[in-house]
Amino acid sequence: MGPEKGARLRGLALVLPALLLVAAFLLAPLALVVRYSLDVYDPASLMKGVFSAENYVKLVSDPFYLRVLVFTGEIAALSTAICLVLGYPVAYFISRSTSEKLRSFLIIITVLPLLMGNAVRAAAWMVIMGTKGLANAMMLGAGVIDEPLKILYTPTAVVIGLVSVLLPFTIITLQSVLDAIPGSLEEAGRSLGFSPLHTMFSVVMPLSVPGMLAAGAICFCLAMNAYATPVLIGGPSVHMMGPLVYQQISKVTNWPFGSALACVLMAVTLTMTVISTTILSRRYF
Amino acid sequence: MTFGRAVYLFFVALIMVFLVAPLGVIMWASFFADKILAFPPSGYTVAYYARAWQLADFSQGFMTSIQVAVCATVGSLLVGIPAALAIERLSVPARAAVREVLLAPMYVPAIVAGAAVYLYYIQFEIKTEFQLTATFLGLLIAHTLVGIPWTMRLVSASLVSNGGVAEEAAQSLGANALQTFFLVTLPVIRSGIIAAALFSFIASFTELELSLFLVGPGKTTLPIAIINYLEWNLDSTIAAVATVQIVIIGAALLVSDRFVNLGRDF
Repeated sequence: MGPEKGARLRGLALVLPALLLVAAFLLAPLALVVRYSLDVYDPASLMKGVFSAENYVKLVSDPFYLRVLVFTGEIAALSTAICLVLGYPVAYFISRSTSEKLRSFLIIITVLPLLMGNAVRAAAWMVIMGTKGLANAMMLGAGVIDEPLKILYTPTAVVIGLVSVLLPFTIITLQSVLDAIPGSLEEAGRSLGFSPLHTMFSVVMPLSVPGMLAAGAICFCLAMNAYATPVLIGGPSVHMMGPLVYQQISKVTNWPFGSALACVLMAVTLTMTVISTTILSRRYF
Repeated sequence: MTFGRAVYLFFVALIMVFLVAPLGVIMWASFFADKILAFPPSGYTVAYYARAWQLADFSQGFMTSIQVAVCATVGSLLVGIPAALAIERLSVPARAAVREVLLAPMYVPAIVAGAAVYLYYIQFEIKTEFQLTATFLGLLIAHTLVGIPWTMRLVSASLVSNGGVAEEAAQSLGANALQTFFLVTLPVIRSGIIAAALFSFIASFTELELSLFLVGPGKTTLPIAIINYLEWNLDSTIAAVATVQIVIIGAALLVSDRFVNLGRDF
């Protein structure tokens, strides 16, 4: 055995435990879900053990489920658009701030809520948006409204909640893309007599389109897969894909249909991940 | 400063407030004295912290979460450090593909992964009569998966930024592989490992969607206890529980800030 082969074997031995763990407890389960999604539900035996596209047909032909799919897509698209509009100026600010301290501080502020977890963040928004919540108390106090508004348990509340979850991802992704665009380009724009806003729209923005697409793709798939926000902030009248997967598999035990829903989410995620990684791995400068 | 610049600064500040304020609000609300949570409060108390701990779901959920997070962190370090080492320092067949597979738990949506692992555990139970759903072990395996990508990313980054020169020098001086690892590599990547441990812990402690499918009666985690409670109640008790979680994660982040530059490496 040559030294080359020995090193390869040692390398393999070291990655094997992690690789086996992920393969056995993530990849194999995902394969199982793909298989289950092609099976047919049977009330007595749970599954018939056949191959059929019935669940996918049901998803697009049943008005209720189709509505859930389309509604989830709409909410995800809207949240993504808002995140890009709100996140871009912030990312640009962070990227162009000259003080390393300020930069670090802003990034920490951005990712801090992200790390607190979905349950805590949803709870916080519920405290703010409830009928007796902070938002209503402030608006009543300021005399903007006479009666408390119903904010919690509406699609609007879900969008607000999702934007707060997704904005950190948007800002971080855009900021790293903007970092790669040299500041000398803006100086060139300004020396040509462009206003800061004009420079922004005619020089920086066109160059960062790929970054916006990548950030948008990440946001969109995170929103499609959201669970805590639609359940807690949306309430029982807001139906989205994530909670539906849980309900079908855990509560109704319609495993084949639940699996099909999970596969649709997986497919959306895979597509978006491929889009964003191809865009981000290509170098523009 | 121009007017436009002032508007811009105000906008950035507003977004930062939008991101952080909810955390401040829920911490504030945890001290309200009123039975029904309303703004502004009529007075302040710390009684809800005691009440939260008296509720079995929260105290038991807290203990389970800590236990799972600690064990899962150890697990993901045990398998993740050797894997990162092999990928960065040794030759591994299909290196790029192996790396992608090990990072996969970060990319697969948690709700999908949870459904998949749950169905897989049930299938496993049918085949072997060994129960994994609603058990500590089942939860632990899933949470270990969650930690592996964090370990991979942070330890790999630490290995890359520290080159391999010191190891080569040690080996040319006659150190064997184990000596090189424990005496040279390990001290060099120590901060990467600590960061990996803290982030794996945070990822596990706050994990919600994956655990949703895997918990059972008397074996819930803290985030699950929180959302179960929120389905029917919204009061200072839940705000107190959320505050405890915020403080724990905040402490972990403060510690990790000493070892990684959060502003740069995130």
